[in-house]
Amino acid sequence: MMREKVAIIGYAQSYHQANMPMTREDMVFEVAKEAAKMAGIEREDIDTVINATNDYYEGRTISELFLVMPIGAYLKDYTKVEMDGANAVFYGMLKILSGTHDIALIVANTQGSTFNPHQISVYTLDPTFDRQIGVLNDISAAAIQARVYMNKYGISEEEAAIVSVKNLGNAAKNPHAHRRMPGISLEEVLSSKLYCDPIRELTMSPISDGAAAVVLASEKKARELSDCPVWIKGVGSCQDSYIRDRKLYKLEGLEAAAKKAYQMAGIKNPFAELDAAEVSERYAHEELMIYEALGFCEEGRGGTLIDSCATFNDGQLPVNPSGGALSADPITATGLIRIVEATMQIRGEAGAHQIPGAWRVLAHGQTGICAQQNIVFILGGEE
Amino acid sequence: MWRNIAVIGVGQTKHGIRRDINAAEMIAEAAWKALEDAELGPEDIDAIAIGNMQGFGGICQAELWSGDLFAAPGKPVLRIATGGTTGGSVAQCGMYQVASGLFDTVLAIGFEKHSDSKEPGATMGLSHVGLANMFHLLANGVDVRTSFAYGGGVGAAAGVSAYQACEYMHRSGCKIEHLDMVAAKSRRNAAKNKYAHLQWPNCTAESLAKHPRFGEIVAYPLRLGHICPASDGASAIVIASEEIARKADRPAWVRGLAACADEENQQAENAQGVSILDTSEQMQCRIAAMKAYRMAGIKNPREEIDVAEIYQPFPHQELMYSERLLLFDDGKAWIPLEEGETEIDGKLPIDPSGGVLSTNAIGSSAMQRVAECALQIMGKAEEHQVPKDVKNAVAHGWGGSTNFTVVTVLGDTPRLRW
Repeated sequence: MMREKVAIIGYAQSYHQANMPMTREDMVFEVAKEAAKMAGIEREDIDTVINATNDYYEGRTISELFLVMPIGAYLKDYTKVEMDGANAVFYGMLKILSGTHDIALIVANTQGSTFNPHQISVYTLDPTFDRQIGVLNDISAAAIQARVYMNKYGISEEEAAIVSVKNLGNAAKNPHAHRRMPGISLEEVLSSKLYCDPIRELTMSPISDGAAAVVLASEKKARELSDCPVWIKGVGSCQDSYIRDRKLYKLEGLEAAAKKAYQMAGIKNPFAELDAAEVSERYAHEELMIYEALGFCEEGRGGTLIDSCATFNDGQLPVNPSGGALSADPITATGLIRIVEATMQIRGEAGAHQIPGAWRVLAHGQTGICAQQNIVFILGGEE
Repeated sequence: MWRNIAVIGVGQTKHGIRRDINAAEMIAEAAWKALEDAELGPEDIDAIAIGNMQGFGGICQAELWSGDLFAAPGKPVLRIATGGTTGGSVAQCGMYQVASGLFDTVLAIGFEKHSDSKEPGATMGLSHVGLANMFHLLANGVDVRTSFAYGGGVGAAAGVSAYQACEYMHRSGCKIEHLDMVAAKSRRNAAKNKYAHLQWPNCTAESLAKHPRFGEIVAYPLRLGHICPASDGASAIVIASEEIARKADRPAWVRGLAACADEENQQAENAQGVSILDTSEQMQCRIAAMKAYRMAGIKNPREEIDVAEIYQPFPHQELMYSERLLLFDDGKAWIPLEEGETEIDGKLPIDPSGGVLSTNAIGSSAMQRVAECALQIMGKAEEHQVPKDVKNAVAHGWGGSTNFTVVTVLGDTPRLRW
């Protein structure tokens, strides 16, 4: 149980794109400054700064070395989480709950244009066996995952493609998204370039440059500084076994993470109680698996759920109104962008993709091949 | 911090060139030793913090494929990496995990397997930094052709350290002989530590300086014998809440912890920085030390600290950081060194384990400082146990290009008393 509440009082995200005409430092400076400005704080008010980047994806060892100044960490408590940005929010929350810090600035960034992330994914494999064989990378592993899942539950390629149609269509209304495709059709998705059967160009996430930032505050500070704090109601994180050693047709790790988060937030029936969800689906079929793991539908019924249009923006539980990871995927920033989008929904600041009356929103982040590590946040407005 | 936490178990592998074992097995060895020491099973662990510098071992996110060997599946795992400070940052992450109240028992692991990347491992990691730094400096309009100091930039943290040694010597008036003394002390102490890499029993400043190979100056003022090795190794600690720690025989209570970041030092070297003019100033270390001591309720560190574990891959850093940790006057640390105060049986022993100078498996190094402090408090340091009652110990780590610092203060009594 949490001994006090932690709130998000400021956020910012970049305009994600394929090749940002900015240095990494400029990009990070913009979002960090904007998030602090929104929270109504000065650099002096920040107690701790946590960055989420990955040395491999950034193409340099100690990727945060030159970021100390642009993210405002100069002479401050500072650390780096080398995972998805949502985990950095988790760490910031732990620091606030410890009673040692009151305000935390979380910044996550990746410039995918520096290094091809699919090439780098080979380095995340077991180096003594899988890497040497040279068959697997994140795309081929996802293709195996997709086939295992689709064969087991009789999910068709069309059902997975509907996810792309939904998310890329939603992204058209989101000015921050990278891949925005208004009026995209099922045929367009199914005839896009085949990478590794059944993974196609439009059923996998693009390589993006982008950054996001949030400001976390303790309950006391949040009430002082913000008239619309967004509370962290629940959080759950779980690492699964390595791809060789787990069932690929379901995301058991995510299921466990969601269970913890729901328990903390007091949610019994997520499909009925949540107003929207922002999930990190690196591949279209993964979103269907995420539905099942998050308990939006029964095991194996992800296809049926998308067929019923319940997760479209006008459905019962809109998933990824922002367009999700399929529309922009700056690796370590992706999970943090989900948290930013969920916060925007609750504050009613999402603009064209606003879900009316969203008051309890789920945000999900993942790290590793085939979503090995998952983290789930339940965010909510004032009760 | 609203609740007491303590280190209740420590595990280390033998550090050195470990071709007998792979990274996952190495991590598991340290993790299981720590669990055994804490008398806990893997099912008792609520969360895990882990870290290494992935560029140095050639593996990205090693905790994902190796997790099954240290009971990570089903648990929340946080991966932390901050350069040389990694181990210390991981230890602090574990401490915050427990302090938050969300978890009661946490396993924190730091590791590095340099020999897995092309020999020698550290060179690849460092050139990875150096090259990236060059592009950064070019992008910011620094003309590297006219910058002598860029030679230091190519060596990343190691390059900065040679410049820093000169700056420190200028600042303090210490001589290269004092660096010999620190290095010799480290090798001597390492000979008493069964987990250390470079061991040289009875090494003296003269024998090191006159040695045909180790006495050679590599980059002034550093001799080959002054430089840390690139080791393979892992270390782990188990951190627990007060209720669990009370059951342990003699836990090492966490009394204070702080981290601090300063501007990147290479820009300063290139005279393009905005804040750092002297890389031996180390403002961030003073701030972290003051914060950690305040949290620990230590008013006079010189009297109250009984043993210090300082991250010193290069010998001048032991002197410099002992000053920045407020244990000696600025520029005067070489005087107590001459008088033997920092020996294992001295008034204020520094690095009785041999420190980073004798064992440097990057991700493990700053974790080992915390682990060694815990061992000294628990009285389990065996041959290199300092011959006195250790009440407070300070563990230090630096990272980046010597611009990140973590300071952890451990003690024999809890921080908060009811």
